[in-house]
Amino acid sequence: MAKVTVSPEEFTFVKYDAAVIAAIVAELAEQLEIANPIRVVVDETTPLAKVYEEIEAASSDATITLHAESGALEDRKHPMSFSATGAREALGRVLLRAHDRMRADFADAPADLELTLEENAAWDTYCAGRLERMGVETNQQRWRYNHRNRFGFHDRVDVAFDALWAADDLGWSDVVALARG
Amino acid sequence: MRQFFPVEDLARDERFVQTNMAERMKDGRTAIDVKESSAKSRGASKRLTPERHDASDAARGLMHGIMVGEIQALEGAGRTAHDFAAGDGTNDTVPFELKLDMARQAWDEARHVEISAKLSDWMGTELGEFAENTVLFEAACSNDPILRLAGVNRALEGLAIDVFTQMKEFGDVAGDPFLEFCEDWMLADEVTHVKMGSDWLRKVTANDPDRRTKALEFQQVVDKLFSFGGARGESPESSFSLAKRFRELAGFTDDEVETISQMDAEALEERKEAVRKYRERVGADV
Repeated sequence: MAKVTVSPEEFTFVKYDAAVIAAIVAELAEQLEIANPIRVVVDETTPLAKVYEEIEAASSDATITLHAESGALEDRKHPMSFSATGAREALGRVLLRAHDRMRADFADAPADLELTLEENAAWDTYCAGRLERMGVETNQQRWRYNHRNRFGFHDRVDVAFDALWAADDLGWSDVVALARG
Repeated sequence: MRQFFPVEDLARDERFVQTNMAERMKDGRTAIDVKESSAKSRGASKRLTPERHDASDAARGLMHGIMVGEIQALEGAGRTAHDFAAGDGTNDTVPFELKLDMARQAWDEARHVEISAKLSDWMGTELGEFAENTVLFEAACSNDPILRLAGVNRALEGLAIDVFTQMKEFGDVAGDPFLEFCEDWMLADEVTHVKMGSDWLRKVTANDPDRRTKALEFQQVVDKLFSFGGARGESPESSFSLAKRFRELAGFTDDEVETISQMDAEALEERKEAVRKYRERVGADV
């Protein structure tokens, strides 16, 4: 079972509980059969919602770091409060990316912060589709809109989106190629 | 039927959760750069454009804000059409033609609610997904109909002009045909609503300069609130800018536009200062 640590341990700006976040990530890691140590770093000083991951190496003992701005884990109906549903979706998405990076055919994928907006959107679509099949609550239309914003509002883009959403077991070049149609 | 409806009694189903400015200002987090020395920060440009990494989610949030704003504008215009007897504009009466304009505005706003709800669906947003800030309706709760015109038609609908202009540009650059088209049509209505407010405010207070001054002062208070701590402004740290050209078309003078622009800048600095103080108090890295 993955050992999960959360930083900060105590939250000042938001009403989040580090133990709850750790439990959600541990549960997701178990579903994905990830045994790596996982560090979750939450930036609680911003309401923005960017999430990204880093992994030391493509091995089963390398530490995975999940970075999340506080808005990514927030209950949008109750600002500054935690949403377990939102956290599962946001952290699950980047944990899936880390899982992908352990595959040899993701070796040439750029680091998260170096991805283009299009690459980022394509990978998000691929991850969100798999999350839905794992039983994690996701809103497909939200991701379709995100995908369209990056690739265009055309039928062929929707076809590419549907293919990425339904896909499993892709390599990085497959993700990029599918997104480009 | 009841007159002068308080904000607490607005009818909403269980999907909606309401909040207000006092609650929003308690949030010590900020996406704006509060470190004066920082040359580059995550908040270096907050302008809502497709180039933002969180563009689609930011647009979804703003679209939901527009939708609940339209609901409140409908309620505000409807209340003004109903709450005051027809008369010559004195003693809490309003000209009958003003009531007709408010009824027309309510009709427009109802259409905007439907359009905004459908756009939200298109963008992947559930109704009530975000908290509803009731500050817009609060501007429509004055007992003086002229203050309502200043608060709702000039400040609130003026804000709508700014936001719709930004969303229209976003849809245009992103290539979203529905967003660009719908925002353009709604924007045309909003310019008309602001013009109604500008015209009626001048007509009804033509012989009552004190009342006009009071109404314009109230409008400034509301305009500053509607800057949302500098979310509107010319700074790249602001999400959307003041749509000066459309405001001119809607009857704002150059001086009025300049005053609002200055208030937006002040609101941004005040928000930064408040965040700095909060962070010092809680011992966070300022």
